[in-house]
Amino acid sequence: MWQRETFKKIKQIPREEHVLPGTALCAGCGGLEALRLAAKVLGDHVVYVNAAGCFTMLAAYPYTSFKGSWLYTTMGSAPAGAQGVRDALDVLIAKGKLPKSEDVKVVVLGGDGSTYDMALSSTSGALHRKLDFYYICYDNEAYGNTGMQLSPATPYAARTATSPCSVQHPAATAQEKKNIFEIWRAHRPPYIATVAPRYPLDLEEKFARAAAFTGPKMFLALSACPTGWVYDPGETPEVAKLAVETGLWPLKEAINGVVTHTYIPKRKPVEAYLKLQGRFRHLFEPTVHTDAIRHIQERVDAYWQQVTKEQA
Amino acid sequence: MVAVRFHGRGGQGAKTASRILGTAAFLSGYVAQDSPIYGAERRGAPVAAFTRFGREPIRERGAITHPDVVVVADASLLEDPGARVLEGARAQTVLFVNSSLSPDALRAHLSLPEQVMTRDVTGIALQQLGQREAISALLGAVAARLVGLEWEPVRQAITRELEDLAVAPPVIEKNLTVAKQCYDSVEPTGLHKGGGQVISAAALHNPIYEPPTKGTARISAAGNSVLRETGGWRTFRPVLVAGKCNGCWLCFVYCPDGVIAMNQDDRPVVDYAHCKGCQICVHECPTHALVAEREQEGGEAWTAK
Ligand SMILES: Cc1ncc(C[n+]2csc(CCOP(=O)(O)OP(=O)(O)O)c2C)c(N)n1
Ligand code: SF4
Repeated sequence: MWQRETFKKIKQIPREEHVLPGTALCAGCGGLEALRLAAKVLGDHVVYVNAAGCFTMLAAYPYTSFKGSWLYTTMGSAPAGAQGVRDALDVLIAKGKLPKSEDVKVVVLGGDGSTYDMALSSTSGALHRKLDFYYICYDNEAYGNTGMQLSPATPYAARTATSPCSVQHPAATAQEKKNIFEIWRAHRPPYIATVAPRYPLDLEEKFARAAAFTGPKMFLALSACPTGWVYDPGETPEVAKLAVETGLWPLKEAINGVVTHTYIPKRKPVEAYLKLQGRFRHLFEPTVHTDAIRHIQERVDAYWQQVTKEQA
Repeated sequence: MVAVRFHGRGGQGAKTASRILGTAAFLSGYVAQDSPIYGAERRGAPVAAFTRFGREPIRERGAITHPDVVVVADASLLEDPGARVLEGARAQTVLFVNSSLSPDALRAHLSLPEQVMTRDVTGIALQQLGQREAISALLGAVAARLVGLEWEPVRQAITRELEDLAVAPPVIEKNLTVAKQCYDSVEPTGLHKGGGQVISAAALHNPIYEPPTKGTARISAAGNSVLRETGGWRTFRPVLVAGKCNGCWLCFVYCPDGVIAMNQDDRPVVDYAHCKGCQICVHECPTHALVAEREQEGGEAWTAK
């Protein structure tokens, strides 16, 4: 059984804020919820290297929400940017120009369009070179900043601006969500975790654990998005909770490639999660797409059967 | 040509309202164009949308700087300098504001054009649709009536535009019923087009090219986003009901913007200057100690679930 060591109680979550308010992100942004909690463990001695996306608005000129530093990169090159920052810090420290005590963490922030798609080769390079950095992908399952276009993280049957319901594809998105966790894991970084901000202690614990490792520390954060997923902003935690409780978003970590599930859900039927969101409404109205819903359920069931088998 | 400018907050439906008006005008046999404008901001931030229609081909493009009609989806925008609601309005511009306040009450502290109309569209939507924000069909219907379009094309336009957004047929039906009431609640206005006294001049700037060495922005003040208050984004504010909070910290933990702090007695203190009104705290509070109250105009409180 996986156990939390640092974060056992809600009141151990630090009070201090590191991502300050006044941002231009949507009211109820699930990605911001995840970042805010992560930053409570990461602190202020950080350089965020941010691929273009919603989060670049966190430091839209002339305002920044970060007490630490922030660097803007193209969508395809945030890990390369992180390499440059890390190298510069290392050189400065080696030359005695920066005291070791003033070293900072290098943290990539990337949306799923960047992470699963445009920056995949750059990430692969950084993983291969064992770059000492954090990578946080806030996964809102579409290209959010430009108006919710299909990304390889978009799940089967979700409606996006570029995968509407059509005669050919009445259930909208025809592709399956790319398994980025396994793509990362194939590179054997020391630490990978999935998190969901509705499970704050699990999230905080994973960031605390990651700190012990040198090399790539990879995070995939479920980022429920009221704007793109079409639900009431107040329901962001509810959506995240159902993603986890239906088994669609497994909470897990991989240390040097060895996977542990950090929470085993009882697994509600997937309808509970799908029904809450406008991007899946076409599965229920005007007619119910039984096949599509069954397909989603079968894939979740198969995933967890495999997990149970591996555990045994 | 008639030029109608819509102002709203992201998510309220100003953009769709402008499309509904454009489509309704087109279905009425006019040439029409509609387009929204928003910055990098999101849901809750000020947005504007523009509809032009007329008998002759329309060569003008882009933002409407001198509107004949201004439709405001959220009264708080009137006082938001960033939203520039009255920019380019003339004395005879027709101003419609979604507000439960009377035009005179609004005039008490604002300099407004002569023709001001208010209706509590949000209140109507709350009562009859049970939805909190999507008032696009209702605003579109009001705007269409103000500029003198018939109901039938408006009905078709609402149906088309909401279908396009994958709104379920029964919800579209309900929207149509309420939209018709809103349509009937206002009268067509005699539009005076062009000319006249400009109330506040429109400032349009040509973009200029700066080389990266000069043009690349640097921010050296850490954490200065707090200077930018986002409290005006709210339609509803979370309010603590005395005696119900059990000090569990969940509102503080789940707030994406970090605008809830726990005081020494473990009670939440909301930073209203920045709270965007997402209502996550209202939804997640296990004891229903936080309730949502409608901004400014007061009254209706609701608890989630
Ligand atoms: C190479 C390139 N193509 C397109 C864009 C335009 N663009 C800016 S942000 C964005 C969406 C990014 O999506 P994602 O990475 O999922 O992050 P999100 O916006 O969802 O936060 C796009 C397409 C860009 N900046 N660079
Ligand atoms: S579009 Fe979604 S991910 Fe982007 S800021 Fe809005 S809620 Fe957050």
